[in-house]
Amino acid sequence: MSREKQGEAERPIASLEAVIRSSELILTCGPGGVGKTTTAAALGVAAARIGRKTVVVTVDPARRLADALGLDDGVASDEPHQVMGVTKRTTDGELWALMLDAEQTFDRLVREQSGSRKQAEAVLDNPVYQAISGSLSGAQEYMAVERLHQLHVSGDWDLVIVDTPPSRHAIDLLEAPDRLVGFLSHPVYRTLTVGQRTFAKITDAASSMFLWAVKRLAGPQIVEDTVEFFRSLANIEGGLRHRARQVSELLRGSETAFVVVSSPRAEAVGEAEHLLDAIADKKFPLGGLVVNLIHPMPEPLTDDDEALLAGIDTGPLGDQLEWHRELTSLANAERQELVDLKRLAGEAPVIELPLLNVDIHDVPGLVGLAERLV
Amino acid sequence: MVVAGKGGVGSSTVAAAAALAAAREGADVLFISVDGRPGMGPLLGGSEISDREQTLQRVPGGGRVRARTIPADQAFGDYLELKGVGGLLRRAASAASLPMIAAATPGLEHLLVLGKIKELEKERNADLIIVDAPPAGHAAPFLRSASGLSDVVKSGPVLDQASDVSEMLADPTRCKALLVALPEETPITEVIELADDLGGDIGIELLPFVVNACWPDRTGLDKTPAMAARSYKLKLSDSAKSALESAAAFGRSRLAQQREQIERLEKARSEPIVMLPRLATPRLGPDDLAALADALIPSH
Repeated sequence: MSREKQGEAERPIASLEAVIRSSELILTCGPGGVGKTTTAAALGVAAARIGRKTVVVTVDPARRLADALGLDDGVASDEPHQVMGVTKRTTDGELWALMLDAEQTFDRLVREQSGSRKQAEAVLDNPVYQAISGSLSGAQEYMAVERLHQLHVSGDWDLVIVDTPPSRHAIDLLEAPDRLVGFLSHPVYRTLTVGQRTFAKITDAASSMFLWAVKRLAGPQIVEDTVEFFRSLANIEGGLRHRARQVSELLRGSETAFVVVSSPRAEAVGEAEHLLDAIADKKFPLGGLVVNLIHPMPEPLTDDDEALLAGIDTGPLGDQLEWHRELTSLANAERQELVDLKRLAGEAPVIELPLLNVDIHDVPGLVGLAERLV
Repeated sequence: MVVAGKGGVGSSTVAAAAALAAAREGADVLFISVDGRPGMGPLLGGSEISDREQTLQRVPGGGRVRARTIPADQAFGDYLELKGVGGLLRRAASAASLPMIAAATPGLEHLLVLGKIKELEKERNADLIIVDAPPAGHAAPFLRSASGLSDVVKSGPVLDQASDVSEMLADPTRCKALLVALPEETPITEVIELADDLGGDIGIELLPFVVNACWPDRTGLDKTPAMAARSYKLKLSDSAKSALESAAAFGRSRLAQQREQIERLEKARSEPIVMLPRLATPRLGPDDLAALADALIPSH
């Protein structure tokens, strides 16, 4: 197996910087455990350092990273806080951070889309709404993009960066707005939300089945709340649909860039490849690929050295040789895993980052990572 | 046995290795992938895991590993059947209404899956059921779905189902949790949080922690290459010294971090710790899985 040259960072260094300079929205997505949140934060640091007023929306930051971003103890804080110590005094960029609160975002959406306060309260006060707003299947994903939209249209920010929620299929995020519209188009939902009189003589099998099944499963009292919830939601349905379409268009707009983050492990690479395919398929704009946690390639031993050291497999020198071989073969295998992944990134910039000796959990660490990224 | 850990720490792999280790001890093992990840099937010697049960591997001595996923809609159908609803009616009900019911009843999908697992456990479907839980972040809500549901649902069979599931989870003779981490700062912090969480209000008894992907302790890396060569009366070239040192420096720092993080876990929790070796490949094969099973339970 041929050894690659050192200094792979020679690839398009400027391009991810161009993405950070020109985009208004960046979404980082990828499999779990590859440093997605850290990458999102570092992109935010990089953007602030080139003078842009940037806000990073995190979903599930590890505690020490949350501390570094000034987010309290992992508690959701829906309003942005400024992160200090990121930029030099001479530039006017700023970095702000917030942690997604799916329920508050959902509440805000309902209020905005309701024709009146009364309509909004009918939804917000419903016990079923209160129970589901944080846990509706896909709600976190949808609320992440909804929050992105809210921040984008506020006009307060040059750049909004959203770190997507960990999900079993990262693709959930891309389909979240469509899923909400699909939910509202469901025949059961449609029948439930027609008027009371029609409701009384429902013949639609699916709907009566639905109510029957809910009664059967969860007891009769929840049926009333559920029907009431769907009816109150009907008042704002038009608004929700409209918003879902807007968000869906925004995600495909030229001001948006998706940054896929992966590691070189086969499982993560598989998920990232799937994600890159889906991004191309659904015509989302790809801003770049970041491959994190790559093992460093040791300097090679020359043939003469190998010959001199052949047969030594015990003692400290044996340890050193065995380790050198193991790390070299792992580093090579990882670079092989990345061949297809990098091809799928097409024209988009690819940034490769080494496995670092320490976790990044403070602002100087993020600044260091930002410098590697751009 | 519920296996859980944060995304990226290899908890599915550890779950598969545990299944293999148990089968080699003669057990009939049922491996359930809650997340529907199909990939552990080939690693265990079969095809991809689906909602149809398949036998992945038979082990000399009578043990075997079977596997399946449990999609929520299927669990719902089975549940209706159990409640005496059959045939066409059941299919209509489950296809049309699950998304709506699930939306209206938080945690219901999780509870249906756990309920199905409880049924399998009750009918003694296998000697050991291994549940590959969704990644942490999702693992706690998954396991808490039973207790959380009672906030919305005050009566009816769902509540009964929920209390049956809670009972199973809290009974150490029926259910235990195996938590997986990596020897790095954030995964260790998160596994400690998950352990506090699961042990606390859900009351699941914990098995020893598994710290996955540990570097073997190579004391020789503490010496400089020149010193290491001295005992062989060898004089290394400058290029050899530099090459070996470039690898050794990285190895030393990883080992130091690993020792520090394991110590931190030992201080925070009283459970024993099992260290699994890091295999020098980004893509695991069946032999690698056997090596991990050996590390969990040495083969005879």
